[in-house]
Amino acid sequence: MINRPHAVVTDPAKCVGCVACSQACPTRAIRVRSDLAVIDDELCIDCGMCIEVCGYDAIRPRTSSPADLRKFKHTVAVPSLTLYAQFGDDVHPGRVLRGLRQLGFDETYDISWMCEMVASATDAYLSQSKGPWPKISVTCPAVLRLIQIRYPDLIPNLVPIETPRELAAKLRRRRLAAERGLDPSEIGMFFITPCTAIIHSIEAPEGLEASYLDGAFAITETYGQLLKAIKHDPGSDSEEAISARGLRWAMAGGEISSMRNANTITVRGLRDVLYVFDRIESGTFQGLDFIEAYICPGGCVGGQLTVAGRYLAQRNIRQLAKRLGDRGLVKEEKVRSLLHDHFFDMQSEISARRVRPLARDLRQAIALKREKDALLERLPRKDCAACGAPNCETLADDVVRGEAKLEDCVFIRLEQLQAHETPHRGGEDG
Amino acid sequence: MDQTQPTAPRPTLPDREAPGEVLYREAFRIVGNDFEHGGEAAAAIKAVLKQLGLPPEAIRRLSIANFEAEMNVIMYAAEAQMELAVMHDSVRVTVTDRGPGIPDIEWAMQEGNSTATPEMRARGFGAGLGLPNIRRSADEFSIASTVGVGTTLTYVVYANGATAT
Repeated sequence: MINRPHAVVTDPAKCVGCVACSQACPTRAIRVRSDLAVIDDELCIDCGMCIEVCGYDAIRPRTSSPADLRKFKHTVAVPSLTLYAQFGDDVHPGRVLRGLRQLGFDETYDISWMCEMVASATDAYLSQSKGPWPKISVTCPAVLRLIQIRYPDLIPNLVPIETPRELAAKLRRRRLAAERGLDPSEIGMFFITPCTAIIHSIEAPEGLEASYLDGAFAITETYGQLLKAIKHDPGSDSEEAISARGLRWAMAGGEISSMRNANTITVRGLRDVLYVFDRIESGTFQGLDFIEAYICPGGCVGGQLTVAGRYLAQRNIRQLAKRLGDRGLVKEEKVRSLLHDHFFDMQSEISARRVRPLARDLRQAIALKREKDALLERLPRKDCAACGAPNCETLADDVVRGEAKLEDCVFIRLEQLQAHETPHRGGEDG
Repeated sequence: MDQTQPTAPRPTLPDREAPGEVLYREAFRIVGNDFEHGGEAAAAIKAVLKQLGLPPEAIRRLSIANFEAEMNVIMYAAEAQMELAVMHDSVRVTVTDRGPGIPDIEWAMQEGNSTATPEMRARGFGAGLGLPNIRRSADEFSIASTVGVGTTLTYVVYANGATAT
């Protein structure tokens, strides 16, 4: 497997080697070594929990730079719906879209209507699917990666429909190339993202050979300039093509609220995602048709790279949808014809990402498992993470894999020091 | 892919162990009516099997069976031991409970038959799929029960890619 760059990057100058990120990581991908958080590329799912909990601003998203815009003849900003939710009542999507162009993009492209289309396509897919149930949304890329790493059994449950952001970029790129006589590669499409997971999904897409997007800017890094641009310019783009139903996709619960099928649930936040997926894996929840799940508690409005925070953003989205009359724009015949053309289909299968067993050989793995259990008996079980691993169990695991030493545990080291201090037992440690 | 693993010597010894020799054994206790911890034994076994590197398909089928068996104990029995036995090319689980026993095993093995109370059904159990589901998920299955004493379930999942049905 090719190790592609991840969207979370640690800054050695700022990292103090505390263990907050290591303990927050859902796949236990982070170890603190010599006062620096080190992320395991194989295990990282780019969920951004580490960014969320870091108190030192030492973990940053790897975003595009303004220089990247100059590589293209024509640039398009494709904002996450969450961007619309970052402002107060007088800043509508039309003004946000117009403001974005003043930041250096040649055009902007709204994806709310594509969200509505995908909801409709999902309904159609569910009515034809033969299981396994429940089907699971692929909207949150961190959830998708989590399934690949931790719940490979649930891969057949994933809905094989491409995400609205990719479909919108695909469609716009195709049309622009035709309208302007450009080669598709001369068009640069940039997502304005609420999270790191989407950045990584552009860099290393699943279900697609290559992303239709060329890069991403974080909402956090665009916000200041954008706000200034909006304040200076009272004008607004037309909002005729903005779908109120689609807008709700910014919030957890939005996806199912725009669907016809009601035998659905929304799962919010990492803890609940693990809880529900554990149970689906053991065969419960089979009576449900569809689950939308988000690593961030509020859905995309709760992403680490946002400004307003999920509570205000949720309120803003609801207000916007209401102001637009909760209207839907999508005609079913249109969706049916696109379904017929396989427009929504993913291009490639999603595969499991194999998590390392203790050893390839069963007997060897059993020996290491016994060794690990014995080590765990000796460890204090305080899960203090001072050793650099998030908890005692992970340290034991690292030790038997040869990636850490038992003496990395401060309690074990203390024991050994005390043993040395007792003269008649000097030099002997258990 | 495995570059981060210790490069353990892998001698190509002939299989010394007999096919049924148990290489790893671990027992888990299940307490009747303990809905709060329902599913934990099945989850713990799954974690062990993942570490040992068993094929995902075998783990998946065994986990379904384990969860059903565990919930059966919680709903009907006083307590049980769920014993995991990992062999060279298969995994066996034996669930021995102290409970009311099953008077008519043939009846209980039929889909849809259940003695679940309305409370259990309200929790989503009692569809009469538990025992048939265990049998379907496993490659080998046996059940023995004595009314007033308890029930013993034994099921085996092959790890070498062979599948049931």
